[in-house]
Amino acid sequence: MKFELSDDQALLRSSTRDFLTSEFPLEKSRGVMEHSKEGYDPSEWRRLAEMGYLGLVLPARVGGQGLGAVELAVVLEEMGRMCLPGPFLDVILAASALAAGGKHEALVGEIVAGKKIVTLAHHDAPYAGTAGRALAVTNGRVKGTKYFVPFAASADALVVTGSDGLALVEGPFTVTALSTIDLAQRFGDVAFEHQVTPIGPLALLDRVDRLAAVGASAMLLGIMTRSLEMTLEYVQTRQAFKRPIGAFQALQHRLADMLLKTESTRSAVYRAAWCLDTDDANAALACATAKAYAGDAARLVCGETIQMHGGIGFTWELDVQLFFKRAKTLEQHYGSTEVQLERALAAAGY
Amino acid sequence: MDLQLSPQHLEFRDQLRSWLSTNMRRPWREELRDPAATEDGLMNFRRAWQKKLYEAGYLGMDWPKEWGGRGAGEVEKSIFEEEMARADAPPILNTLGIGLLGPALIHHGSEDQRRRFIPPMLAGDEIWCQGFSEPGAGSDLAALRTSARIDGDHFVLNGQKIWTTFGPWADWIFVLARTDSKDRYGGISFILTKLDTPGVSVRPLRQITGESEFGEVFFEDARVPRVNLVGQIGEGWRIAMTVLAYERGAMSLAASVRFGRDLEALASACKEYGRTGAAVREKLARLLVENEVMRANGIRTLANFADGKSPGPESSIEKIYWSEFDKRFRDTALDILGPGGQLLRTSPDARHDVDWAREFLWSRAGTIYSGSSEIQRNIISKRVLNLPQDAR
Repeated sequence: MKFELSDDQALLRSSTRDFLTSEFPLEKSRGVMEHSKEGYDPSEWRRLAEMGYLGLVLPARVGGQGLGAVELAVVLEEMGRMCLPGPFLDVILAASALAAGGKHEALVGEIVAGKKIVTLAHHDAPYAGTAGRALAVTNGRVKGTKYFVPFAASADALVVTGSDGLALVEGPFTVTALSTIDLAQRFGDVAFEHQVTPIGPLALLDRVDRLAAVGASAMLLGIMTRSLEMTLEYVQTRQAFKRPIGAFQALQHRLADMLLKTESTRSAVYRAAWCLDTDDANAALACATAKAYAGDAARLVCGETIQMHGGIGFTWELDVQLFFKRAKTLEQHYGSTEVQLERALAAAGY
Repeated sequence: MDLQLSPQHLEFRDQLRSWLSTNMRRPWREELRDPAATEDGLMNFRRAWQKKLYEAGYLGMDWPKEWGGRGAGEVEKSIFEEEMARADAPPILNTLGIGLLGPALIHHGSEDQRRRFIPPMLAGDEIWCQGFSEPGAGSDLAALRTSARIDGDHFVLNGQKIWTTFGPWADWIFVLARTDSKDRYGGISFILTKLDTPGVSVRPLRQITGESEFGEVFFEDARVPRVNLVGQIGEGWRIAMTVLAYERGAMSLAASVRFGRDLEALASACKEYGRTGAAVREKLARLLVENEVMRANGIRTLANFADGKSPGPESSIEKIYWSEFDKRFRDTALDILGPGGQLLRTSPDARHDVDWAREFLWSRAGTIYSGSSEIQRNIISKRVLNLPQDAR
């Protein structure tokens, strides 16, 4: 029994950190977020493929590495720390759904190779419609609109949840680009009038949804960890009343709570990932727990980060805002807190 | 990363499970609910139960065999706590002796003290209480004033201890007393005192629950042999800190099992009473999620033990987590149950699953004892986050 990462997993963490630090530093990502149309740098996307990240959890037969949710969590935690923009998790989830269906392996191979962008389209309403699956598919055609489709404007194809299961829709699409507070993830509404090919039943998404919960909460963990680090640096440097503000108990106790939330999230995320990898009977509850808790915890930690930075924390210039916004998106997508709470109740039989 | 118990630990767990199912008369909550149960009777029951566990080799789990322990490790100890919780087994009586004094003697005691005190402590033949807090020294424990003056082969103790758990049932007390009034930390010594020593008196205090599990202990020229000093003169503070680290030890896993059982009872009550609206469901779900996070924290600690890592000051995180959750959980349970949640267990209409009213009151204790939540946050700030000495 061991909570720490294995040697291979620890190596994955350190090599990912090195890779992201040298190729995707936050100064550079900030430029991409603020100035690129796509919300990520398509020319750099291939680098993620070359390094094997896109195929991390996909089987070897499609060019993947066949690793598990623990490894995915390690990578996403590091991406969260760097506030990395782009469709990484979205593409992995869509590819996992396609791989689970077993009908589109060539496409999965192209995704793993970084040649195609495919994401999941499942929101049936812009507001309060988190898990709708109402889109009608008749005679092999889909007609209607999906909302908040991640990186829709860049997608070559979309995995769509419809009335009779999961289906693949090939682009091009008519996309209405949306603007949200978070520049690291772009969304669009997609009006469909397309041919579809079936992927399989909606139940294929059960595991994908759990992977999404673990993945998003791992990113939230990285965001929290980095936000706490930035705050700890700041409170030891910033002077007020002739001492560093970190000497004030009014802040110390709240920093202790930030650590409690962050470390508890770490326990929950990696336990959930491990349960998923081992088909543990507690996997459904553990994954819902990780995501529901991480969303709330990140809101607190990123919010306190702004508060403790004071006026500078409210500026565009300082990076803490990027983490605060990213946390909000991750909290509301990949199964919102409300959705996860329902899943937790169902898993416990309450 | 591997969160599965090893085959030998699984075997230990299964043996313990079957031992508990054979040897437990009935779950602890049923003992508590027995109309014939009295406070004294329950204490005696716990003493007898402890003896049974000791004879079966389940106490002093991680202590060396030469002093009456099992010679196993922290993992077995943690599994033991978890299985006791799962079975709703009665608690042992000598929790403070085994939980606190035992580690103090193993780390700092003399060979004679270990041989003299550990076996009867484990067997439940000598019950211990803890003489740390005083009316003027709680969170600021080093402000304690109980004095121990050296007089030949004896210490002469004067002063008062308070909030002394099991005081009214204990045979012995381990006392932090001042042997030097000028040295705040280095002037404190750790002394074992028999409660029937002339000059020592115990007075029960009535708690918020109506019970008198804790009390006050008074020392008036009580003469205690010098051989009862643990460690050296002036080492008491250091020993106390060892002890308190044990008191905060790994509780999350066992706690999540207990809370989980009560949560399940609450969920059943919701169904029974048709409390299935969204507001109630959300409350229930949030409790469930928070408890599962506690379980994950506990599994992490257990896995770290198995990996040969002992927890440091981070154990304060676990202490804050379970004790603050306890309050939220019990508060919320009463919200959901409505006025019936406040019924005393002896009252008509009281539910038989959980003593909700008593648990509600008891939950106020955990964030105060063994270092309040505020003290735990101080520990985290200084020793985990390395923040500067605080300014208030």
